[in-house]
Amino acid sequence: MRCERCGAPIVNKFIRVNGVLLCEKCARDFNVEDPFRGSMATLLNQPFSVLGEITNALMTGGNELDFANANTKIRCPKCGTTLKDVETNGTVGCIECYNTFNETILKDILKRQGAGDYRGRKPGETAEIKAVSEKPEGEVKAKKAASKTPASTEEKTPAKKAPEKKDKTDILEKIKKADLGTIDDSDLEEAMKLAAKNEDYDLAARLRDELKSRKGEN
Amino acid sequence: MWYEKAGKDTDVVLSTQVTIMRNIKGFQFPSRMSDADRENAMGMMRQASGNMGFNFIRCDEMDESAKEDLFNQYFCKYGFLNDNKKTAFLLGREDGLGVTLNDKEHMAILSFTSGDDVVSAYKSAESVAEKFEKEMEIAYSDKMGFLTSDIRYVGTGLQISFLAALPGIEKTAGALAILSKRAEKYDWIIKPILQADGNKENGMYELTSVATLGVSESEVVEHAQKVIADTVKLERSCRVNIYKKKSAIIEDQFYRSYALLKYARRMEIVEAISLLNWIRLGRGQIRDCDAALDWDNINLITHRVRRDYKAADSRGKRSPSIASDRAAGIRKILNEDSERG
Repeated sequence: MRCERCGAPIVNKFIRVNGVLLCEKCARDFNVEDPFRGSMATLLNQPFSVLGEITNALMTGGNELDFANANTKIRCPKCGTTLKDVETNGTVGCIECYNTFNETILKDILKRQGAGDYRGRKPGETAEIKAVSEKPEGEVKAKKAASKTPASTEEKTPAKKAPEKKDKTDILEKIKKADLGTIDDSDLEEAMKLAAKNEDYDLAARLRDELKSRKGEN
Repeated sequence: MWYEKAGKDTDVVLSTQVTIMRNIKGFQFPSRMSDADRENAMGMMRQASGNMGFNFIRCDEMDESAKEDLFNQYFCKYGFLNDNKKTAFLLGREDGLGVTLNDKEHMAILSFTSGDDVVSAYKSAESVAEKFEKEMEIAYSDKMGFLTSDIRYVGTGLQISFLAALPGIEKTAGALAILSKRAEKYDWIIKPILQADGNKENGMYELTSVATLGVSESEVVEHAQKVIADTVKLERSCRVNIYKKKSAIIEDQFYRSYALLKYARRMEIVEAISLLNWIRLGRGQIRDCDAALDWDNINLITHRVRRDYKAADSRGKRSPSIASDRAAGIRKILNEDSERG
């Protein structure tokens, strides 16, 4: 799950405003009165809502507004593209722009694609392209699992011995790097609990989303 | 032309397009380049493409028939050919392969195939990209991948899209929503196609890949195959379903559309496309159908109607002579088809 405004992964709390999914910080920016606790103000027909707005503005909104104004004046030193150009047209003028407007660009990419790391091929290399067979999905999955058993058992067995404290961080690191599609449901669930115990909520949220999507599939 | 060839799943998918965008290090992106820089970069790219078997053509030296040819094959936009902005085109020896130079990006490698064949389209585009990457210094960073002017493509610089006729899905309540959700799962989007004058092309949709970061090229190609397989399956079942429920209406509309296409003397683009989609709904399902029609020919007419340089040249104004030329072109293909059948 991701915030539909800033693109940050939503770890433990989210709120919907007019049907839009928001993270805790963005919900505050939207001046949602006390989104996560039963609000006193709403109970009393909002006599103190002004106070809430002021505190919200002081906490985040106010500062961010000033910051945003200062940002729009930023120019790329090499080609003269402004932040406004980037935000309105979605294009940059030169390679240097990627350094100048790094934050904005990354934010935009996260919002659209939900990922920021490059995983494609390097210049001059060839990508491995496989034709997907048209067999029913179940069969393909079963085959994949069968062909991968030697490799995947290596990955899976440590996940089952989760209680051993030493290995905990190692396993979590491994799972972070592994392709979630190759791990089966029970291991995922175990890993999710482990991640939550270890207070790695980012990973836990990812695993939860994967599990949820699988259940949706079935 | 590439779309005159036979393809796979042509009852639903008209064409597959793979675009790989690359920029040269040391130059600003085309939107910020001076004319001298454009000339320089163009010269460098021409030199690099020297032994790749491309035919180099400058847009300002192109004659009208060459422009028409490139436009009709989906390679170039009207503005790219006519704006005189020091642009050029590299036409490949292979059908459906070309590179636009100095458009939005320094290079946009385009590869088209008729029907659904993403693997071969990708491979031929990639081999060109690879050669350019070896010959020239390409804008690339380890963290962000290939850098592009449009930040939507930064990363792999790769976009795959399909042109599909989905009249069955369009006419089935809720089916489009199901398909969009499916596509979303693979990071793809599906959108209706609008003409330059804002008219919607009934039943025509474009499916496009979104992700360029966080995925590898092989994953994008794999997702493309899955998305299009789902689309084809859903569309076929929708067509069967509609025919089962409303066979009288479909048959009536099928023959009406066929007659109009075969005998009309003037035809507008939007009208022709919706007639063709009625034909797609009925084709293959009506028993003892005496109107012989080949899928490849239905698609050929659709491509010809959609990409009409003369219509683009008239800037959206309706002209009777263009409409009657269009109708004559359609009649010619249909008559050849029925003679063979």
